Amino acid sequence: MKQPSSIKRSRMVANAAIYVLLTVISVVWLIPFVFILLQSFRVENTWQVGYVLPKEWGIDNYTKLFTDTSFLKWYGNTLIIACANAVLQTLMVMLMSYGLSRLRFKGRKLLMNIMLILGMFPGFLTMIILYWVLKDLGLTQEGAIPGLILVYFASSGMGYYVSKGFFDTIPKSLDEAARVDGATRFQVLYKVTLPLSKPIIIYTVLTAFMAPWADYIFASYVAFGTSSGYNVAVGLYSWLTKDMINNYFTTFCAGGVCVAIPITVLFMLLQKYYVEGVTGGAVKG
Amino acid sequence: MATVKLTNVKKVYDKKVTAVQDFNLDIADKEFIVFVGPSGCGKSTTLRMIAGLEDISEGTVEIDGVVVNDLEPRDRDIAMVFQNYALYPHLTVFENMAFPLRLKKMDNDEVYKRVTDAAEILGITEFLTRKPKALSGGQRQRVAIGRAMVRDSKVFLMDEPLSNLDAKLRNQMRAEIIMLRQKINSTFIYVTHDQTEAMTLGDRIVIMKDGLIQQIGTPEEVFDMPVNLFVAGFIGAPQMNFYDTELIKDGGKYYVSPLGARMEVSADKSKMLESKNISSMKVTLGVRPEHITVAESAGPSAIKVKIMVNEMMGSEYHLHTVSEDQTKFIVRTPTLKLSHEERTALSAGNDIFITFSGEAMHLFDPQTQRNLLI
Repeated sequence: MKQPSSIKRSRMVANAAIYVLLTVISVVWLIPFVFILLQSFRVENTWQVGYVLPKEWGIDNYTKLFTDTSFLKWYGNTLIIACANAVLQTLMVMLMSYGLSRLRFKGRKLLMNIMLILGMFPGFLTMIILYWVLKDLGLTQEGAIPGLILVYFASSGMGYYVSKGFFDTIPKSLDEAARVDGATRFQVLYKVTLPLSKPIIIYTVLTAFMAPWADYIFASYVAFGTSSGYNVAVGLYSWLTKDMINNYFTTFCAGGVCVAIPITVLFMLLQKYYVEGVTGGAVKG
Repeated sequence: MATVKLTNVKKVYDKKVTAVQDFNLDIADKEFIVFVGPSGCGKSTTLRMIAGLEDISEGTVEIDGVVVNDLEPRDRDIAMVFQNYALYPHLTVFENMAFPLRLKKMDNDEVYKRVTDAAEILGITEFLTRKPKALSGGQRQRVAIGRAMVRDSKVFLMDEPLSNLDAKLRNQMRAEIIMLRQKINSTFIYVTHDQTEAMTLGDRIVIMKDGLIQQIGTPEEVFDMPVNLFVAGFIGAPQMNFYDTELIKDGGKYYVSPLGARMEVSADKSKMLESKNISSMKVTLGVRPEHITVAESAGPSAIKVKIMVNEMMGSEYHLHTVSEDQTKFIVRTPTLKLSHEERTALSAGNDIFITFSGEAMHLFDPQTQRNLLI
């Protein structure tokens, strides 16, 4: 009788230690977010101050954000890019990974290896050349948005690993059964495979939608100083220059909060699928 | 309602591994054909070539006289049941069974009628609204059969449909497939590695090994007249006993002499040997365990063996015995008429004498491994 209770106690101690650690980590992680949130409601002045809690609370920064600045335009730009990317990239990745998982064709292994190796090079390497290509196509500055969509989605097929891994776990005999039952390859895909792939589709949509909100480097190159071609990250960063920051710091914080809202909401709604999508490839179906 | 004809069918993987070759078979309308053989013998590959799931490297497959080599599975009018059931996990049992009909754009009333009729026959009406994961193995297999049934297709293919079930359920489903077969007027091709299934289900059995057909015949033919050692050993359980011995022709009669015994070959078998002009030669003698009897005492036609293991199977003993030269003989002895003393005499460790009649002998050429009696 004695032993079980001592096991119980030691487990409780271990759990308590883990929870304390996790709490500390989450507090540390949350500090920047809370800081930005608090700053965005600060009214007394617009520059950086040495304290955290605002002395005067209000929504002046948000009003300024939406009336006096181009933020709405940038927000719209990013939303367009994100939506277009979510649709196009998902389509591309799904078709790509389905093909690599299910069809056997010459050069399949080679193609996968090439993409694996190409994927090892940092994306920055291609930035300059991509910029010139886009410039020649008229897809920079004013045309930055279609340009960015094109670049994001053109290379997206290379991100096939996770979804191919997921498709691999769907038994091939389901495809075969469907084909014998009278389905074409395409019918197999949309009547059998896709309904079974909900987690991975949502995962792909989510990542495709979220990536453009955070892209700064390439977006800033493509827009090249033309405000109407900015996405939110580039736009907001333009307020952090020496001569802007004193007037715009709290507005910047308000902008940051606005950017976080759609991503956070989406993520919270779909996190169940997100986790399934990430782990799904590893679990035998 | 279809004939299936395979002519010189060959399957080569990656230009290297030959999985099936020289496969010639005419399947009559409404016939139940079973492909049987050890794993890797090419039976499933052949079935999948008929289904259109594998390319055919050489030769032709005809269904109802039409060469289907280049037709997609959906254009071949075949139904197939898979080993792992292959039910669509996201659809209910009803929708699983309705799936092929919906693809044909059949109207709803007809779909409903066909699915409920099939469910009735298979006894799965109460599960129609469930998802496959809420079903047991046997129920899933019924759904898979139902999905194939509703199609009314020309050919019904089954790829080891019972091998995922436990022994009891397997026996039950086997009986149900026999009954089902009487209700569906279709040509059946059934793949299994289990010789019992092959024997009980097939009108004709195709026994395969290493991609080659060994024998095609009715269950009686392959059991009584196995063409070679492989078939003789594969069909029948426990498997046939083999012993390399001498065939002796003596005064118009043939004898075999395992372990010093002298046993006469039956008259009709002798006639067959005679007609082939066979005189004395080395042979492999084959005797099925159920054709060996325990002899009362030593005699010229009895072999002395030691019982190593006695398996009590209920109605019979399986005696695993060893002769003086360490050859293993398995003997099946019915227990019904044995007295208590006789049963004790069959305990492990005891010596007994075994014998068999001339009718029970199978004689094979040890070189070619072919049956000398056909």
